[in-house]
Amino acid sequence: MYEEPYRWIEAVANRRQYLDDQFTQGNPLVAVSFTQGILLLSFNRGTDKIYEIYDRIALGGMGHPADLEKLRYALLDMAHVEGFQRSPTDVTASRLMKNGLAPVIKEAFEEIFKAPYIAKILLAEVGVSQERDRLFSINYDGMFEEQREFGLLAASTLIRGLLTQEWKSHSPLSSLPSAVEVSLRLWGIASLLQMATPSPDAEEAGTTSPPATSLSTLPDDEAIASRIRETLSKETLECVLLDRESGKMETYRTLSHSELQPFIPSVFQPAI
Amino acid sequence: MMGQQGDFLQVLRERGYAVEDFRPPFAGGTPSGHTEVTAGTTVFAIKYADGVLVAGDRRATAGNVVMYDRTDKVLELDRFSVLAIAGVPATAFEMARILEHSFKYYRRSQLQDLSFEGKLRALSTLLKNNAPAALAGTGTVAPIFAGYDQLEGCGKIFFYDILGAEFEAVEYAVSGSGSSTIRGILFYMNRWGNGPVAGMNEEEALTFVLRLMTSAAEFDSATGGVDAQAQLYPIVKRISAEGVRAIPAERLKSLFSEKVLNYV
Repeated sequence: MYEEPYRWIEAVANRRQYLDDQFTQGNPLVAVSFTQGILLLSFNRGTDKIYEIYDRIALGGMGHPADLEKLRYALLDMAHVEGFQRSPTDVTASRLMKNGLAPVIKEAFEEIFKAPYIAKILLAEVGVSQERDRLFSINYDGMFEEQREFGLLAASTLIRGLLTQEWKSHSPLSSLPSAVEVSLRLWGIASLLQMATPSPDAEEAGTTSPPATSLSTLPDDEAIASRIRETLSKETLECVLLDRESGKMETYRTLSHSELQPFIPSVFQPAI
Repeated sequence: MMGQQGDFLQVLRERGYAVEDFRPPFAGGTPSGHTEVTAGTTVFAIKYADGVLVAGDRRATAGNVVMYDRTDKVLELDRFSVLAIAGVPATAFEMARILEHSFKYYRRSQLQDLSFEGKLRALSTLLKNNAPAALAGTGTVAPIFAGYDQLEGCGKIFFYDILGAEFEAVEYAVSGSGSSTIRGILFYMNRWGNGPVAGMNEEEALTFVLRLMTSAAEFDSATGGVDAQAQLYPIVKRISAEGVRAIPAERLKSLFSEKVLNYV
């Protein structure tokens, strides 16, 4: 029944709706480039979302853990074989994204008789200097984007514009504490905006209740702080630094809870 | 799906890389009764009070010819282990590269470090696969593996014969053509010296390492030893609970001039 072009387009549209729905409950993920390196930040409810791929490359994921795991392995294989047969400096996020990830995800998305990957992925590559930092994010349909300073994974791509504006008002960042603070704030905004995005189902049924936050303006500071406080008390903060100044080949470092604690402003700290 | 067990060699095989092909380049190269170990160099590891020191001479030779005087034969495989190589450099460096990537791949894919035992097995497997080339003399490697065993909380030293048999060294291990000199001195020191080598502090141990290398170079033409004029010092790495750390050449330089060159 999908032989006719119209049916195929319809099937792909259904797929989009189904996939968009899958991400609405997911946690956004933020990556920012600053003087010392790249910081990746998100929250998790038990399954890690940030992983090391290669010496200078980290992955942030959103979606189904099994799909993310499969794609993570594909990237690990590609990166390590390349690093072994050529050289570690030949392994770049750009090539992993363009040759490795994008074709696989796009193919799975358009193969309408098979299950698509329920995954959005961000690849961060720390450069020897800040101008050479790269952030790539890919959607479930294989569409990817390249950024220099600020990367985001969220259920809706509509919120990107507002967040980029917000990021510009804080950049450039020159220290790890400020990177943690700004990333947390950006995460809070993304999370609120994501909740305010009408779900595809609700839109169709015409029962959209007016959301607490509008999609066209930034939520106020108190709303952001309260969202972060709430999440900090319920979920696990996950934070990884790709450390440009590590002095070693390997740059990936998970920031521990005790290390992060002093960098979290008191307005974000949950009351105990 | 073997890759999901963190086996980098398997991933390489699946991509068509001939992992086992460290074969002799000529057909019918049957091993004669006499296989000469062409391991012209000196590498050794000793235990001392704070951990393990691994040292490697820097000369690479081909027969009578000195090919290179700045070789690094003490290779860091990861934060906690080191491979000191003696033998055919092409094969030895390749093995080190495979091990380095295997450990990285395992850690990143399995989200845990490969165990100390697992690292030893990985090296044994490579040496075993390399046996035909080792016997033909075109790929002989007799390495020393030293690392920090986090499970047991101590530094350990292992040495291998060219076919992959693994031996744990209680106090020290030596390999290469200069090793007989060093073994003799180590035996003597432990038996009749001023206390065992394992009790030395870092400064004493480093001085001892430089003296050992200088002694090896005295009797072995394939060992360069220390060339203070050319600022050439052995590569020395220290292994402790904090991981692997290279001893800076400046430190060796001052110890060499104070305690080795103009001593007594």
